[in-house]
This record gives sequence, C-alpha cells and structure tokens, in this order.
Amino acid sequence: MSIKTIALKSVYILMPATILLAFLWAPPAAILGDSSRIMYFHVPLAWVSILAFIVSGILSVAYLADKKGRFHGLVETSYNSAVIGFVFTILTVITGSIWAKISWGVFWNWDPRETSIVIVLIIYIAYFSLQGALAGNENRGRIGSSYLVIAMITLPFFAFLVPRIYPSLHPDPIINKDRTVHLDAAMLTTLLVAILSFSLLYAYILFLMKRITTLKKRIGDYHAAD
Amino acid sequence: MTPARSSSAAGVYGLGSDIIRNLRKDFRVEFRSRFALNIAVSFAAIVTIAMSLTAGGAPFPAAVQSILLWTVIFFSAMNGLSHIFVREEDQATALFLRVSVTTDSIFISKSIFNQVFMMILLIVITPLFVFFLQVNVIHIAFFILSVAAGGIAIAAATTILAAMVAKAGGKGSLFTIISFPVLLPILWVSINSTTGALRQTAPSYDNPVFLLAFSGFISVISFLLFRSVWLED
Repeated sequence: MSIKTIALKSVYILMPATILLAFLWAPPAAILGDSSRIMYFHVPLAWVSILAFIVSGILSVAYLADKKGRFHGLVETSYNSAVIGFVFTILTVITGSIWAKISWGVFWNWDPRETSIVIVLIIYIAYFSLQGALAGNENRGRIGSSYLVIAMITLPFFAFLVPRIYPSLHPDPIINKDRTVHLDAAMLTTLLVAILSFSLLYAYILFLMKRITTLKKRIGDYHAAD
Repeated sequence: MTPARSSSAAGVYGLGSDIIRNLRKDFRVEFRSRFALNIAVSFAAIVTIAMSLTAGGAPFPAAVQSILLWTVIFFSAMNGLSHIFVREEDQATALFLRVSVTTDSIFISKSIFNQVFMMILLIVITPLFVFFLQVNVIHIAFFILSVAAGGIAIAAATTILAAMVAKAGGKGSLFTIISFPVLLPILWVSINSTTGALRQTAPSYDNPVFLLAFSGFISVISFLLFRSVWLED
C-alpha cells in the first residue's frame, strides 16, 4: 500500500476521531457553551471551500501553461475540485447560519466573513454556469480555466483583505492582530485535527472523482472502438 | 488554428495598424446601428427615471445615492459591453477576424472600444442620475475621478468575459452572472469612493488609485489569457 493510499484512507479514522473529539473531549466555550462545538465543523468546511478554489485555480494556471499537453486530466481535476468546493461552500454557509442564529440571533447579517464566503459561492455558480453554457465547445476547458484564473484575482480581496479591514462579529481564534492563539489547548487540538480530517476528506473525494472520470473515459473509448 | 501573422513578425507598426483598422471597423459597425449604445443608455435612463419617480423626491443619504448610481451603471454596462464580441459570433465574422489579424491587436482594439463605450455611457448616465436623484456633489473633481476610475475598471475587467460569453453563444444573462463576482471588488470600492465625494469630509484618493491599479492588473492578466479564449484548437 503506497503512502498516498495510507494518507487518503486515514480519513476513515480521522473523521470519526474528529466527531468524538468535538463532542466528547473538547470543552464548551466560556460564553457560547455547547453551541461552540459547531466550530469544529464550520471552520474546516470554510477552509476546504477556499482550499478547493485555490487548487482549482492553480490547476487551471498549470493547464493553460501546459502548451504541449504533457499533463492530462488537469482540467477535469480542476473542475472536480470546484464541484467539491461548491458543496463544501454550501455546507459552510449552512453551518455558519446555524451558528449565527445561536450566537447573534439572526441567520444572516452580511458580516465581512459571511460576505466573503458568499462571493466564493457566487464564483462557483458563475463558473458552473459558464461551463454549462459551453457544453459541446472544444475550448470549454481553456475558457473555463481562464475564467477561474480571472475569478481567483478577486479572492484575496474578499477572503483575506475585507474580513481584516472591516469590523467583524466573527471570532478570530488563530489569525488575529495579536498574532496569538485565543483558544484552549484541547479546543485548538480538536480544531487542528478537524482541519486535517476535512482536508484529507477533500483529497479523498477528489481522488475518487478522478477515478470515476478515468473509468468514464475508458468506457467511452471502449464504446467508440466497438 | 493559428493567426495568419504573429505579433512579433508583424512588429509594433503592424500591431498598431491592425488595432486602428479594427477600431475603425468596430466604431463604424456600432455607430451605424448604435444597437448596444441605444439599449444601454435607454436602460440607464428608464431605471434612473423610475427610481426618481418612485422615490417621489425623497432625499436619499449619500451612501444610498452612491449604491443606486453604481447599480444603474453596472446593469447598463451589462447590457452593452458584451456586444463587441457577441456581434462577431452572431454575424459569423469571428473566424474571419481570427485568421486576418493578430490576437493581440483584437484584444487591444476591443478593450479600447469597450473603454470608449463605457465612457460614453458614464457621460450620459452620471449627469442624468445627478439631475433626477437630486445628488449634491460636494467634491466635483473627485466625483468625476471616482466615476471615471470605476468605469475604466469595469470595462477592463469585462472585455475578456465578453469574449467568453460570445464563445458560449451569448446566452441570456450569462454575461451578468459571470461578471458579477469579478466586478464586486470594483463596485465595492467605487461605491465607497463616490460616497466620499458626496460628503463634507476630505475624500481619500486610495479608492480611485486602487481602481486604476486593479484595471491595469486585470488588463494584463486578460491580455495574457485572451489567446486561450479566442483561438480554437
């Protein structure tokens, strides 16, 4: 069994471990109480939403730079990453809304971080709309990749700049102006395990989608040769 | 398919003459029918008058006036900026253009056309909006600079998106859908900038500078990517 397979399969251990740590081991937050446990799912989901988008963007750049077609399947992997990112973004919005309702009394209030995740969601929707409209076009991969590169330019503005410029109700446990961690050791450990688990889950789903794409291509080739 | 002449072979002179030829053709075709301009300006006028009518003369705060101004500009621009590429595909002249002139000259000429188109649109929309919505502009020069910088940024960001939409057959609202996430930072900063021009306090020049810098940056990225969008395998 290769290191890659072991790393990907470790998600079967890490995901249940994350659930156990989040509900049984990590202490409840001082003011928020047990509702704070949603953080161990909401934060990793948001992290993977952005990670998937960045991976899609980087693969798009690589695909566009690869003039000789040396790296096959980059555009499919980029698309698959965007599909996973889209689902994770929706889950981020849902978990974030639940947490906002418990903490702030409203499901939505256009907090800078809420705004940034909605922008990522809109970018995904726009990308899929463009891909859908280009169905049957031979240049679909190149045009879609070009759009992702253009859209990626706006990401630093909304994902990193705006939440740090405008006042936010969001807690900032790890990245903040003090550059210190404002979390209890057990809570921080649980959060880091959760981030690792969700990142591996993303990689595992991406790997499975790549296998499905390859199988679909083989079946298509088989029927074409028949 | 590759263009008949490469940019390097044609040289700077060749590139310049191609750009002028394309621009002359685009302006002639557009101003013969004035289709895109008529639609965009009519839309802007209707929306501005509708807003003023429904408001019934009620004064809006500076921030609301600024938001409404950029909403009108955004949707008016969406009605006309994609036309420059969609027309080439609709009239089946895109293939001829692809083989007769260099890709670089096409992008530069279409960008210049969209910038001119956007400026004409702004020259019509802005006074109309100021008149009907009773906008009290405190810092006039800064207001003009903000509107112009925002317009330049919108035209710069949407030129390559117009080419993408044209490739997709110019379907319905696709241009607005794919432009919105890219234009959001521009609209955000433009609204802040024009709001500053409507208030008594001295405005910050950071916003127009950001808009102009963003325009330059996205133009360079678009120029580099245009070949991937425009040329076919």
